[in-house]
Amino acid sequence: MKIRIFDIENWREIGQTLARNKTRTLLTAFGIFWGTAMLAMLMGGSEGLRGMLVRNFEGFATNMGACFVQHTTKPYRGFNKGMSWPLTVNDIDFVRRANPHLDLSTTSNQTGGSIQYADKATASQILGVNPDYFRIQLPVVHSGRVLNESDDSQIRKSAVIGKNVATSLFGSDDPIGRYIKVNQVYFMVVGVVSQTSEASLGAKMDDAVLIPATTMRRAFNLGTDIDAFIYTAKPGYSPKDIEPTIRHVYSMNHPVDPTDRDAMWFLDVSEQFEMVDNLFLGISLLAIFVGAGTLLAGAIGIGNIMWIIVKERTREIGIRRAIGAKPVDIIAQILSEGMVLTAIAGIAGICFAVGVLAVADTLTYDPALGSAHFQLSLKSALGITFTFLILGTCAGIVPALKAMRIKPVAALNDK
Amino acid sequence: MIIELKDINKTYPGAVPLHVLKDINLSIERGELVSIMGASGSGKSTLLNILGILDTYDSGSYHLDGTLIKNLSENRAAELRGRMIGFVFQSFNLINYKTALENVALPLFYQGVSRRKRNALAMEYLEKMGLGDRATHLPSEMSGGQKQRVAIARALVTKPSIILADEPTGALDSHTSKEVMQLFRDLNAEGMTIAIVTHDPNVGAQTNRIIRISDGRIVTGDSPA
Repeated sequence: MKIRIFDIENWREIGQTLARNKTRTLLTAFGIFWGTAMLAMLMGGSEGLRGMLVRNFEGFATNMGACFVQHTTKPYRGFNKGMSWPLTVNDIDFVRRANPHLDLSTTSNQTGGSIQYADKATASQILGVNPDYFRIQLPVVHSGRVLNESDDSQIRKSAVIGKNVATSLFGSDDPIGRYIKVNQVYFMVVGVVSQTSEASLGAKMDDAVLIPATTMRRAFNLGTDIDAFIYTAKPGYSPKDIEPTIRHVYSMNHPVDPTDRDAMWFLDVSEQFEMVDNLFLGISLLAIFVGAGTLLAGAIGIGNIMWIIVKERTREIGIRRAIGAKPVDIIAQILSEGMVLTAIAGIAGICFAVGVLAVADTLTYDPALGSAHFQLSLKSALGITFTFLILGTCAGIVPALKAMRIKPVAALNDK
Repeated sequence: MIIELKDINKTYPGAVPLHVLKDINLSIERGELVSIMGASGSGKSTLLNILGILDTYDSGSYHLDGTLIKNLSENRAAELRGRMIGFVFQSFNLINYKTALENVALPLFYQGVSRRKRNALAMEYLEKMGLGDRATHLPSEMSGGQKQRVAIARALVTKPSIILADEPTGALDSHTSKEVMQLFRDLNAEGMTIAIVTHDPNVGAQTNRIIRISDGRIVTGDSPA
């Protein structure tokens, strides 16, 4: 037997049959077109929804934890409950030395204050942080730089100011190298930053003034006290793995009952992300479920239409058989017609879906956050096309077998 | 001997089995123009189906141009049908979305003849039927007589051993019928073997031999009339 798939004559015959039966071709094609388009839009759409949510956390370390000092809730060693106690730099040094799973970490002191430059003043949050802070929450640096190790160790009066602070103090001038007064202490501006994520720790960078933790403690007479400790766990570990060390350290160093869980409040961002991840797992599962339904409905639709087509073409198939078509010729013809139709309509459906997704992407585009990625990967597009091609062909097998069984006598008797 | 039937029996199974062909013996020589006549239900259509390898028989033997036609696979039957038999039907049985030329060329497509060659051949036969100027017309744009001539061209294009025609004039008016019959006579004069199934005595009268079939048996026609 000659190999039909390489036979141009065979393709001509198929093309002609499809082109000469426009209504039937269009009806079948529309079913396939809609099926692939729906599936592609569903997949791209769920990806986009995920993107819309995830972009809110852009630049935000996802395995981050933080702890904040609270009042004690249990009496201990003669101290009443409700006592305030300080977390100190000393404690943090212990933690940093003791826990090998700690990756990035920064202490944090926060206070409100007034910021002045020349005759302009603004109120803002003042954050004293270690340089790791800028690696835990990635900033967008508009000009200058972020704080570095030297700023911290040499207790420099360097300040990184938020974009909004810069605008209100300097307008469109370049603030780098200028001196601003932070709560009556002069600092030199070394950088202007903002953040992409909607989530923030303590204050949004855009509206804050960030100075070295050491400088902050010295300039504002905080001694060794810190307000919070922010950290990330090394890959493969969770912020939960750091928590016992911290609890151990502060209960050793301070008169706090080791069983007093509420004396320190722990935040584990990875838990929040896990929740978001679970939500999207749910959405993805739903998309897959609905998508599978769409695929199935599409395939059954193809099979259905082809069944009707075969019935309608009984006479034609009988004629073809009477003038020398072999059963395999008829099967090949019906299946090839289905495949050609599926391929063309499927690709058209995907193109349509990509267009719709592009519109959705444009509508949800955010200048600061960027695109939400309402997009379909080439892999998914090819996957949908081939799945439909295979399902469409399978759906065509039953009608094709029916067509094959049509006896040429049918053409003679069907007068 | 193009066709040789010996003691052919055919029964359609069912609640009441129908014995449609009873011990049929029939030979058709190369170059003959015969008609098979009978009333409806006489078994003439079943006989034609067996002759055209469209249907099987229960017992006996059928030789077509020296080949025993018995227990053939669908593929072999299709191949023999395509190569040795040209069909002409009462209702023309052209494919309605194909032009005259494409209809005529279709049997050659199934024989794997190249497009250029089969179109040339199809054109040649259309011209022979006087339809050269209708090559690109669809069946719906042609008269009954023209359609039947296209169908005859399609039957001839594979250069078959025999033409089997089933009521070829049944759907035509008397004038066109005459033309079509004249066409068959001309083809026969050129050496083509033709068997026509009909119930029209006028058609039968224009053939060289009439095989009458009644109630599943051949009543006359074993020798030329």
